[in-house]
Amino acid sequence: MAPSTTIADPQPSSTTDSSNSNAAAAENDIRPFFVLHKASSGKKSTGTVRAKRRIDSPAPKLAKKSEIESTEVEDGEYFSTLRLKVFETVWSKIDKTIQDVLRDSHSKVFSGVHDWICESFESIRSCGALSLSEAVRSYPVLSQPSSKQLFTALVLTRNLEMVDDLLTFEDLGLHLKSQGCHVGKLSSMDFSTKNGVGGCLRGLLRQFVMPTVDVADVTILASWYRENGNHNNPVVIIVDDTERCSGSVLSELILILSEWAVKVPVFLIMGVSTAHDAPRKILSANALQRICATRFTLSSPAERMDAVLEAVFLKPCSGFTVSHKVALYMRSYFLSQDGTLTSFVKTLKIACLQHFSLEPLSIMLEHFCQDNQPPGEGTGLLTEATMKHAFDLPSVTRNKITRSTCEMLPQFLLDLQRMPKPWSIVVLCIYEAGKFDKIRLIDVFCETLDPEARYLKYFSPSASLNSQSHVSGRNSVIRRVLRKLRDFSPAQLSSLLKSWESLTAEFSEISDKVMELHPLMRNVEAAGQRPGLPSSPKKHASRSHSKLEKELKAMTDKVSAIIEFMLREYMKPVETVPFNEILCYKNVDKLQSALLGDPRGRIQSDLLESYNILHCMCCSQRGTSLLPSMHDTSILYTLAQEHADVINLHDWYQSFKTILIPRNSKAKLKSKTCSKSKKRKDRCEEPEPEQPAEASIQARFCRAVMELQIAGLIRMPSKRRPDYVQRVAFGS
Amino acid sequence: MTREESSKVTRRSIRLASSVTDENPEPKPSHPPTVADLTFGEESITLDALLSNFPGRRSQILDLIRLIGPLDSPSLPIMVYGDASTGKTSVALQVFRHLNRPFVYSSCRTCCSPRLLFESILNQLLLHSKCSSNGYASAKRCDKPSDFVNLLRQALSDVMETLGRKSMGKMLYLIVDHVDLIKDWDKGAMILQFLFSLYSVLKMPQLGIILISGLPPDVYYSNMGYTDPLPVYFPEYSEDELRQIFLKTQVNKKLYSAFLDVVLRPFCRVTRRVEELSTTFSSLFRKYCVPLDDLAISPNEDLKRRLYSNLKPHITSSLNEIFRVSSRPHDGDTKGERRQKASYSSENGEELEILDFHMSTSAKYLLIAAFLASRNPATLDASMFDSTGGMDNRKRKRKASEKSMEKKEIAEQEAVMKGPGSFPLERLLAIFQCIASVGDSSFGEEEEEEEATGYDKESNNMMSDILLQVSSLCDANFMIKSGSCPLEGSIRYRSMVSEDLCLKVARSLSFPLSKYLYRR
Repeated sequence: MAPSTTIADPQPSSTTDSSNSNAAAAENDIRPFFVLHKASSGKKSTGTVRAKRRIDSPAPKLAKKSEIESTEVEDGEYFSTLRLKVFETVWSKIDKTIQDVLRDSHSKVFSGVHDWICESFESIRSCGALSLSEAVRSYPVLSQPSSKQLFTALVLTRNLEMVDDLLTFEDLGLHLKSQGCHVGKLSSMDFSTKNGVGGCLRGLLRQFVMPTVDVADVTILASWYRENGNHNNPVVIIVDDTERCSGSVLSELILILSEWAVKVPVFLIMGVSTAHDAPRKILSANALQRICATRFTLSSPAERMDAVLEAVFLKPCSGFTVSHKVALYMRSYFLSQDGTLTSFVKTLKIACLQHFSLEPLSIMLEHFCQDNQPPGEGTGLLTEATMKHAFDLPSVTRNKITRSTCEMLPQFLLDLQRMPKPWSIVVLCIYEAGKFDKIRLIDVFCETLDPEARYLKYFSPSASLNSQSHVSGRNSVIRRVLRKLRDFSPAQLSSLLKSWESLTAEFSEISDKVMELHPLMRNVEAAGQRPGLPSSPKKHASRSHSKLEKELKAMTDKVSAIIEFMLREYMKPVETVPFNEILCYKNVDKLQSALLGDPRGRIQSDLLESYNILHCMCCSQRGTSLLPSMHDTSILYTLAQEHADVINLHDWYQSFKTILIPRNSKAKLKSKTCSKSKKRKDRCEEPEPEQPAEASIQARFCRAVMELQIAGLIRMPSKRRPDYVQRVAFGS
Repeated sequence: MTREESSKVTRRSIRLASSVTDENPEPKPSHPPTVADLTFGEESITLDALLSNFPGRRSQILDLIRLIGPLDSPSLPIMVYGDASTGKTSVALQVFRHLNRPFVYSSCRTCCSPRLLFESILNQLLLHSKCSSNGYASAKRCDKPSDFVNLLRQALSDVMETLGRKSMGKMLYLIVDHVDLIKDWDKGAMILQFLFSLYSVLKMPQLGIILISGLPPDVYYSNMGYTDPLPVYFPEYSEDELRQIFLKTQVNKKLYSAFLDVVLRPFCRVTRRVEELSTTFSSLFRKYCVPLDDLAISPNEDLKRRLYSNLKPHITSSLNEIFRVSSRPHDGDTKGERRQKASYSSENGEELEILDFHMSTSAKYLLIAAFLASRNPATLDASMFDSTGGMDNRKRKRKASEKSMEKKEIAEQEAVMKGPGSFPLERLLAIFQCIASVGDSSFGEEEEEEEATGYDKESNNMMSDILLQVSSLCDANFMIKSGSCPLEGSIRYRSMVSEDLCLKVARSLSFPLSKYLYRR
């Protein structure tokens, strides 16, 4: 030990000496060239490690979770892989359902676009075919001035966010391609002011002609179009996010294409995410008047979500479902946070995955979705531990089911499997009744999932009497439906009846009740027709009118009675059924933390408690006091907590320095002049790391400040206050 | 519409028939272009036909022919200029059709860089056409004006030789269209100067140069010592000339002239561009003809009056718009017939109230916050958004500052001129938090039901991905960003939404926007 220290010793002491000697001078000016010193590679590596850790931090948590489970379950390894497998089958089923629903919802618009293209293409071709030399030469075909019109479809996506519709336009492109059109796609990336119109023309030529074209020349497009029978099909260009494009470049492209519109019939499809007059805002007037626009409207995200909801939860799909609170959370997340179907599907997937990773019994879901199989099949998979778990479930204990009724298990499971059917029929019936009032399925879904069935109180006579004063449940959907029923016209009632009939066809108990309505409906219709007779005297008309009112009243009363009957008898919320935990995901907090994450708050708390993440030996045991061995950025951020929203750089640096060079070592430096031998002895006794040089401290300071800046926690000095940095304190 | 199309078809078919006579009806792709392709390619037209084709352009056509000069005589550069859609290009091309002389045409609209322009001219001279067999490459690669001069000289002398052999005259003309666009190019000034001095640099009198520009020649001159091109001005069409132009292609001239009696005068006050007018007129004429069964009818005064009263509501609406979107019934049973929809006029009141696209609640609040931050002065934020809701404070403040009213008025006018103000992100987020919390509390009062379930974490969640929402608002052009480096933190935003849209959004949230908006 001794020789090594003696060899190593002189160098650091000399550096400290030298730094110390000019410390007085260097104290106050942070020399700029020190900043240029390269940081040691060691530091860099710690930085990257830290960064990686931060990114990976959820992973250990997951691991921990599964650890706990594995202690609970005997052969947890086997079951967790099994559950994962079941998750995959269930999710693939849900995913496929969603894809089908979305495809269906778009297919109408797609075929509409295709019809429009065919029609317009025919109208262009009917003007007469161009000969080859006519079509490729450089000067325009001289004909009607209106021939410069560029046929454009505005596809309104009706959502501010674009994410949902990227795939839609991809699908639209594929659809048109399969119909024989030449399809090219441009995104807002191609319309940058930097590359100008050449950039997007080049992109188009690469898609249409060949990938090696590097000249942005429309004449190439024209001559390509005349080759190999290409001219039998229209050219379609899809721009999926018009709002994000640079308006001047897009205008220029439109002008160029419209000059060539007779020679190359181009159809422009523009995705517009806000109002349909959005092109007016971004395009120049010259380009606007060249556009012959037709509007197509995609279904709104809310409509799409209702369709997805219906297919996944209300039609037989996978058996997986969510609890009242989770549904409420998903609804509010959709409405207030993101508003995209993508995020809704993501939420659903996370919920599904968490359900399978948290609930041991979820393996039985595999057998739920298959109708022909008895649900008891899955019980064979259960081990002793899972059985115990099953009978400890809150829904089981609440219903006072004990192990002794074990042989009843298949019966319970059968109930559980059958339960959703009438339930979903009732939900759909109410949705159908609310359709005239534009009620959303998700609202009905959320309200009917309520395990306490609070919606039933709207049927009590007291509620109907003082409904005006009753504040609670003003937003209740079912109440709204019931109120709206009174305003229904006979035509609406009869169409409601028809839809109910088809919905309840499979379920005889409800459909019988619905059938009972028919004579009433006939009465209403008869009463409604009578005043239509022209010969009827006025008095008679008014009487028959009152009769119609009476009949209508009777009818609506009956309808609301049926709704009440359905709700009371069949609307058993899934959470009240024993063993519902197999199907139903309930943990809303887990879902929320998985979705939101709160990255900024996380960064700040991690910086303040970096020892928790780094797990190094030196800093962890000493608690909150700052140590030189801690990470620089973390030290600086902790120091910054003492300041207000502006931090004096010099003070900050000084306090940083005092952390790195602790006071006792400073005292030591003073005593260093007394005797060298003593100092050396001290050094040997205390394995303190040697003092860092002023330059390296400054460099480390700068680096750490930079990292804080990049993390978005502080802001660099402004011109007005060059000595201060500002804390950006949001999200703390 | 059918009328116009049929007329178009007949015209085209005549031209086609004429072109069929001198070349194969279906030329093979390998058909090598000859020098003959440098002429217009169709049979030349007589001067009378040319003059009657372009009503009101008589003097311009005669000027142009005079300046181009008789056969085989060199001509000075010519500049044809005039407003958009006054027939410059068509007249120039048809004049060459009449003269039946070889020419090369390049449009700076299509050739959007010097390289494309040069190569397009050379390709035509060298009789090179881009096709798949040559990889759509140009005949010569040419970037610089100096290279272009050399290549052009060489190509010209070759072409002249063949022209002489085929006894097609000793002149070739170069038409460059849309010269004004060059100004916006990278190094556009240099290219422009080059084009103007090309005649003197080239020193080849066999090449006549015709420049077509939307801007008058004064814009380009810069005392560089080249000969100024001879100007030919194309003025805007007069109302009578427009009438002749529009009547020329119509089948039922009487009906259309009755229609023009009604529409031409008001529209001429707005624009005289044939292109704009023809698109508007074609849709209006369709509406005009709706009550008619027989389109060949010649209308009497009574019918004209009836048709006019029928059309009247549409005229004013289409006077104000240049962009119209037609929507199309999806079921397609009314095939071909599209319901034209004027974007502003036919929207009824109810439609205006409703936002027709989806935004999440937090994005809506953010939009309102941005709007407020752009409209309100920053100094009033504290009084507007304090816990009491702000209204009373504001009034007091305004009274106190009554002395400086004049000064304020000037400042206000300035603010109006400046448009929406810019604001830093922090201010946006602060306002957002204030109004979102206010909105939430009123929201909470309404929804006691929800609170009773113990589920009211929305206000916390609101903040989580707000920066993402900001960026998507920026993407949708509702806000624009200014400022340089994102790390600098000095990005300032500006709200670009109209008050109408913002009111719509506020109404959908039932948020009292007017309470927070500072009115002067």
